[in-house]
Amino acid sequence: MTERPLAYLDNAATSFPKVAAVLRRMVEIYEACGVSPGRGGYDLAMEASELVAAAREKLARFFGAPDPERVVFAANASDALNLAIQGWVRPGDHVVATRLEHNSVLRPLHHLHERDGVGYDLVPFGDSGRVDVADVAAALRPTTRLAIICHGSSVLGTVQPVAEIAGACAERGVPLLVDAAQTAGQVPVDIGAWGAAAIAFTGHKALLGPSGVGGLVLSPAFEPASTRFGGTGIDSQSLVHTQAFPHRLEVGTLNLLGVIGLCEGLDHLERQGVAIAHQREVGLARRLRDGLVQLPGVDVLSPPLADGDLPIVTCNVGDVPSDDVGAILDADYSIAVRTGQHCAPMVHASLGTSEVGAVRFSLGIATTEEHIDRALEAMSAIADSC
Amino acid sequence: MNESRQAGSGSGRELGLSRCPRFIAGREVMFDNEGFLWTVDDWNEELAVELAAEAGLTPLTDVHWRVLRFQRQYYHENGRAPLNRQLAQGTEMPLLELNCLFPGGIRRGARRIAGLPNPKTCM
Repeated sequence: MTERPLAYLDNAATSFPKVAAVLRRMVEIYEACGVSPGRGGYDLAMEASELVAAAREKLARFFGAPDPERVVFAANASDALNLAIQGWVRPGDHVVATRLEHNSVLRPLHHLHERDGVGYDLVPFGDSGRVDVADVAAALRPTTRLAIICHGSSVLGTVQPVAEIAGACAERGVPLLVDAAQTAGQVPVDIGAWGAAAIAFTGHKALLGPSGVGGLVLSPAFEPASTRFGGTGIDSQSLVHTQAFPHRLEVGTLNLLGVIGLCEGLDHLERQGVAIAHQREVGLARRLRDGLVQLPGVDVLSPPLADGDLPIVTCNVGDVPSDDVGAILDADYSIAVRTGQHCAPMVHASLGTSEVGAVRFSLGIATTEEHIDRALEAMSAIADSC
Repeated sequence: MNESRQAGSGSGRELGLSRCPRFIAGREVMFDNEGFLWTVDDWNEELAVELAAEAGLTPLTDVHWRVLRFQRQYYHENGRAPLNRQLAQGTEMPLLELNCLFPGGIRRGARRIAGLPNPKTCM
């Protein structure tokens, strides 16, 4: 079989191929200014500091946050979620999250449960792939310290009604932490409009930056404690870690290359138009889903896509294990997909796919109609072989 | 019903593989709990025949042996299982065809009967 160019349909894991212009510009700036920001007083160090400050301002605008100093850089969304959860939740507290969560939320909660006796409830989702705001509200207790919501499911593609959930939490005085790993760069993520306490994001998915950079955007009222300690470039004579934001949650030299790349990726995305890119990708995802639904033997697990959902379609083929489907797509059709449980085990437990996992197609800015045609051709052949 | 972890209660499901000794092909052999050989070097052709028979695959044809021997040879030479494209090229067949050739498919069929390690994917 003639090998075709790769159809990369694993954008929920990371965007690929990376935009060449973004990478070029990132390296150019880093070559010119790749010194330690926020430390030395020489001109180049000050210029590096200005790059970081500009990045915080850009991201604050993008996420509707009033204070750029409350844009905290982290390694990725998982890292940012850990900063918020472990910095805010105290021993014996209660937390509400959902069964849609990624292990980046489930595992910190499990850790705190084991170590500190933290209790938590996971609100279920319905057939629509969405949680009911009333269920979230009902799970909140007087002892609930934090609510967490997966804005966009990496398995189902469904986007949750965060504004309504944040409202229900605010009525009960519970801060809401939003996991925007999948949604930042796809759909509006606006901490101010939602009234959320914090948003965790990553730079390497729909924001089109490199891996290794993400962040936590904090509202003015939400103040997690430091959970790691070290150099900040400020108050070096003190053994107490700097408590002013963003330094309270940052430690050591920043990933300047990543920060630059994240800003360049965001600039590229905004030039394309976030809404335009999203609409195109969702259109392609709908075409893929509509085609898969027509194939006998293919079980489409993700619900029909609403306009504001993510371009993700998840399915299985007969009793063929999902990793074998992925291997066939890769070797025979040059299609890259993610199989298994997608680090979201509760979603698969709810779907009844814990043993077999599922095949996830996640589209991105480089996805073409030919990729969708090829995916349908491949899935049809696999289904026919069962 | 909400999934709930109450403060102070125990929890946790152990993940990972465990050892499962079995008597097969005239000797005791260690497998993992998903039926993959624990030690690659414990494999021989008699064991492959037994594993295939257990999966309902009798007899192993020349085509089956070509797949099994390629995987063994590749693992021996490279210290890891062949990647997807390498498996297709080395066996001279599309993986769709290989998947149908072995009950259980590529991973739980061909790879397991060839005695290669459990790939421990995100399952």
